[in-house]
Amino acid sequence: MRWSSAALGLLLVPALALGACGNGKSATPAKSKSLTIVITAEPNKTLNPENGNSSADIQVAEALYAPLVETDPASGKLRNVVADSITPDATGRTWTIKIKDGFSFQNGQALTARDYVDTWNLTAYGPNAWKNNGFFSKVDGYDALNPTAPDGQTAPAPTAKEMTGLEVVDDHTFTVRLKVPFSQFGLTLQYLGLAPLAEAVRKDPKAYDHKPIGMGPYKLATDEWKTGEDIKLVKWNGYKATAPQADKVTFRFIQNGDTAYNEFLAGTVDSVQVPSTKKNTFKTDAPDRWLVSESAGNIFYFVFPSWDPAYAKPELRHAISMAIDRAAFANLVGLAKPASGLVAPGIDGQRPDACKYCTHDAAAAKKLFDEAGGLSKPMTINYNSGTSTGQTYAQAIGNMMRQTLGIEVRYVGKPGSEITDLADKKSLEGVRFGGWGHDYPSIEDYLTPMFKSNGDANFSKYANPKVDQLLAQGDSQPNPERAIQLYQQVEDICLEDMPLVPLYHIQDAYLAAKGVHPRNSRYTGVSPLWSTIDR
Amino acid sequence: MIRFALRRILAAIPIGLLVTLGVFALVFAMPGDPLRELAGDKPVPPSVLAAERAQFHLDRPLLVQYGLYLKDIVTGHFGETFDGRDIGEQLRLRIPVTVKLALLANAFQFTAGMLFGSYAGFRRNGAVDRLLMLATLFVLAVPFLVLAFAAQYLFGVQLKWFPVSGTADGFPMSYLLPAMVIGLLSFAGLARVLRTSIVETVNSDFVKTARAKGIGEQRVLWRHILPNALLPVITFIGIDLAGIFAGAVLTESIFNLPGLGQFLFQAIQLKEGGVVVLLSTLAFISFIVINLIVDLLYGVLDPRVRSG
Repeated sequence: MRWSSAALGLLLVPALALGACGNGKSATPAKSKSLTIVITAEPNKTLNPENGNSSADIQVAEALYAPLVETDPASGKLRNVVADSITPDATGRTWTIKIKDGFSFQNGQALTARDYVDTWNLTAYGPNAWKNNGFFSKVDGYDALNPTAPDGQTAPAPTAKEMTGLEVVDDHTFTVRLKVPFSQFGLTLQYLGLAPLAEAVRKDPKAYDHKPIGMGPYKLATDEWKTGEDIKLVKWNGYKATAPQADKVTFRFIQNGDTAYNEFLAGTVDSVQVPSTKKNTFKTDAPDRWLVSESAGNIFYFVFPSWDPAYAKPELRHAISMAIDRAAFANLVGLAKPASGLVAPGIDGQRPDACKYCTHDAAAAKKLFDEAGGLSKPMTINYNSGTSTGQTYAQAIGNMMRQTLGIEVRYVGKPGSEITDLADKKSLEGVRFGGWGHDYPSIEDYLTPMFKSNGDANFSKYANPKVDQLLAQGDSQPNPERAIQLYQQVEDICLEDMPLVPLYHIQDAYLAAKGVHPRNSRYTGVSPLWSTIDR
Repeated sequence: MIRFALRRILAAIPIGLLVTLGVFALVFAMPGDPLRELAGDKPVPPSVLAAERAQFHLDRPLLVQYGLYLKDIVTGHFGETFDGRDIGEQLRLRIPVTVKLALLANAFQFTAGMLFGSYAGFRRNGAVDRLLMLATLFVLAVPFLVLAFAAQYLFGVQLKWFPVSGTADGFPMSYLLPAMVIGLLSFAGLARVLRTSIVETVNSDFVKTARAKGIGEQRVLWRHILPNALLPVITFIGIDLAGIFAGAVLTESIFNLPGLGQFLFQAIQLKEGGVVVLLSTLAFISFIVINLIVDLLYGVLDPRVRSG
């Protein structure tokens, strides 16, 4: 038995080693003009703004890069940042973009029109598979860089590397020719996923994935951002436009929302988004240190299948819409505003009373429903089984239908992509949920994707020549006010036809440390990066 | 002994292939298109989708995909995840995190298990023994999630003894709290095994003989009872250490430790067959290796099973 005690001693080693562990100490929050911002997501894979479109990607890009234009958080109007002027021609098809003198990259290279054109061509080149490729599908010549093939076949190699629609005029001027007129193009240029890459980066983008050469208010504090670490930034003195107040910004990635919330309560970080699990408790957990966004920037729908004759009558759809108690539903969702139109609050051209059939009226709904002949079969409500709330929401709507309209309701849970696939093939049985967050703050972005025939997010496969025609007119109307009037006509038609029912807009809630006041605009939402700091 | 080890390793290969293929088939059978799921409601240009599909072999049939992933693993060309992370780099960063967590958690589990188990074994039906029984039931009843968040809130947010999450404070500080939570939830099982084993050993003939020979009580305990009673415990620890991977998924998420558990969770969420196969291969290999070590150790400790 000589072996055994030796083995026993070996096994006891870890227990003894523990005696060496030190006492706990917690990191103190960064004081003064520095900010530690939690991003509740997986760490970015790259700091190349052209190859990222998640909200985490855009948040970091906002610090490292500067957009051509931005929405003024105070007025909601577009204003120039890097751009000196952005001018459409008479039809809104060709856009001339002039950039200001004096901007440069953080490696000293002066920023020119060539940087934009070359970067955008690189992004639009299909085989690179960069995330913001789709943005350029509106530009003339995009298709040559992105050949398609029928399902199951390999797409041929692109025939070009540059879009014919992009042209450098001089060092500070370039033009963008679109496939068709698009009056809202100027608004789309505030997207940070369009930021230019320096010449050195364009030669070997992969090499710079973790050591970006930015052109915005902040630069990396270290030579390289190492995977698994916080992104540490310091103010860059070469930036020529207005910068946020913080001298140092740290982005920390914590995927678990509840964990991030606890980090904030422990005082180790300056700002964190409130996870859905804390919607009911954050105001008491962090009194005086919370804020709720004034704007929403999104809309959620209850979607009818246009391919199902059972839902063909518009009156029937009106009745279903009126049977929904939006206030109660928004309350269930938590931190949500009931929708009263197809456009989110804060967007230019939004009318608070656009929808005639969005007010809850049980008696009128029942009457209208019966007059329209009722529903010939049970209502099937599809929900995304991949989310924790899908089933709850489906049952909440379902109960309103049963109680108000007296119909039978069935619930079907499926993964989100399967629901989308079935709907794309027009073979989904029943109604479903849908949602949209705008890519750029324009009334047009709340209409075209959902209601144009073959729109990108045409959930109900709605097609109406009149809508297409009015959208095209709005797109080629260079006068912003008149364009908005045309889009409002589209909204009216879509609310009357009601291929889908607007339900609610989600608001964001944030916690921010004492003395840190994130910007909260009714047009651009909450931005921790643009915090006012008085500590 | 070398022949024994070689035989075990060779026998493990077909089992490993079968297991990973099974796991891969399960991921493959999960509904939904991962690349579209990744994009959410936003449209993806067909050209980008096609380029990505080809990059991840998603346009091939199941067995071909599996073969290609396996080839990638064997040749060390791990490639990238769906959302563009370098898998080799991820492994380099993540393996140490999970190993540190596992070892520390096992140290806690082992220390507490040994102390309580042996005490309960020698003082059967005493206060500690009953408490242990109660603790086992309690641990089985409380979900891990609840205990982990409660510990995080109490020791991290309120008392500030430990960091709330993350690895910024390094080893061991960042790992102590999660390891203790895992240890707390698993020591009771170990203690019960040890207790039973001690009870059996105490009553066995060779212990009675030792006592009859007039050997001192301390010597009987340390030289005769414990070494024999520890044998089943070693098996238990082996299985437990290999199984830590499963527990790591939740722990690493709650305490924001960028280890293999988080990686596995993301891969399953994104329906990323290649990564799941790679990680389950890793888990399988570590399982085989640890169990092999346990078996070899067993032979060392117990001459009766030392066979050719």
